[in-house]
Amino acid sequence: MRLSKPLMRRSFLMAAAASSLLVAAPALAVPNVAESFVDENIHKGLDILKDKRLSSVQRRDQFEGLLLSLVDVRRIALFTLGQYRRSAPPDDVEAFVAAFKNYATAEYQSYFSKYTSQTLKVIGSTERSPTDFIVQTQLIDPSSSQPPAEVDFRVRTDTGKPVLVDVAYQGIWLSLEQRDQFVSFLGQNNGNVRSLVAHLSDLAANLGKPSN
Amino acid sequence: MRKLRALLLGLAGLVLCQALAACATTPPTAEALANNDPYEETNRDTLKLNGKIDKYFVIPTVGLYFLLVPEPGRRGVHNFLGNLELPTIFVNDMLQGEVSRAGKSMWRLVINSTLGLGGFLDPASKMGIQGHGEDFGQTLAVWGVGEGPYLVLPFLGPSNPRDATGLAVDVAMDPTNQIHFKQHIWWDGGRIYFTLLDLRGQTYQTIQGIQRSSVDYYSSLRSLYRQMRNQEIRNGRAPGQDLPDF
Repeated sequence: MRLSKPLMRRSFLMAAAASSLLVAAPALAVPNVAESFVDENIHKGLDILKDKRLSSVQRRDQFEGLLLSLVDVRRIALFTLGQYRRSAPPDDVEAFVAAFKNYATAEYQSYFSKYTSQTLKVIGSTERSPTDFIVQTQLIDPSSSQPPAEVDFRVRTDTGKPVLVDVAYQGIWLSLEQRDQFVSFLGQNNGNVRSLVAHLSDLAANLGKPSN
Repeated sequence: MRKLRALLLGLAGLVLCQALAACATTPPTAEALANNDPYEETNRDTLKLNGKIDKYFVIPTVGLYFLLVPEPGRRGVHNFLGNLELPTIFVNDMLQGEVSRAGKSMWRLVINSTLGLGGFLDPASKMGIQGHGEDFGQTLAVWGVGEGPYLVLPFLGPSNPRDATGLAVDVAMDPTNQIHFKQHIWWDGGRIYFTLLDLRGQTYQTIQGIQRSSVDYYSSLRSLYRQMRNQEIRNGRAPGQDLPDF
């Protein structure tokens, strides 16, 4: 049932394209952009993480370079600040975006390094709006008899090129969880974004330590 | 004291009621109300208590379990415990009108209880009949019952009134609790203990990862629990339309 909806949507779009190419062509093209964006780049990321020839520093640097070219870190950072984004001083927000970049890189690396022995397969996408897509993938573990894990990627295309803004493992969205944490932390610290920046910097340093 | 699990649940409820009564004197913050977590202060204290139980009792025994029982043995225990839950899962599948999933649960029970040597092996998965979870908390959600405020139950962890009620109903409907025999307490105690070892052993690295990367472990756990339960209730992916805009 879960697979059939995107497939039905695609069939519908193809039928629409046959009858009216002018209208349907862009709608058909954009989901494929999101899907191929995920397909190509996530494999690149996993290849870096599982490349045994790289030292841990090289692996971290290469992964960070790739990640920053794919992910709209600023957009995610501002989202995770929740309502405090509007009330915080602009300098604090900029410091937060910088600290979040290091934290997110370390967290994404830690997150994906667990799955380097597995294969990712794109199975479809859902269009939330003409520039907002959820690309559905399956993480297949060849050594397990368990069903593949569901991993979804949220891709925005409104800046001209596709960018990744969120990832979900088995229905749990990383940015939602980060926003819940940060907003709660700020609520307990009188909305002081600087204290969150300090905390994030410590965490990023801790996550970056060679435990993986 | 025939039903140890019922006792544990009752004890958790009692401790929680006392804590919530004490909490009633201090009004919840606007932040807590916005998060549908009016008992946040008490919940945080309970999470600390659970953390101490975990650190000083659960983790050392999980370490011992991993040391003494090799991986195939632990897998067998995991399969056996999962097989015991299948009647409850089957009933909840049916209560939710999920006839196809109920059929899978029934076939898993039949195949794994016989060919799987009482549930220690899982031939059903090899035959393509994969397992799934279902509980009365999810059934209530499917029936339209709201989750209520977030709760952290003593010993049991993240929950809410709907899921806590569901847990009590699941314990009551479990067929093994209807079979009365001498020394039932040892059966109950053993089942709870091995369930704890199995669950904590499987989630050890994940929880350690969350603790390591969290800005606020409590709110991280709350968010993860809610998102995970929503996924379980839907039996799969969300349509994506409910997600907030960036």
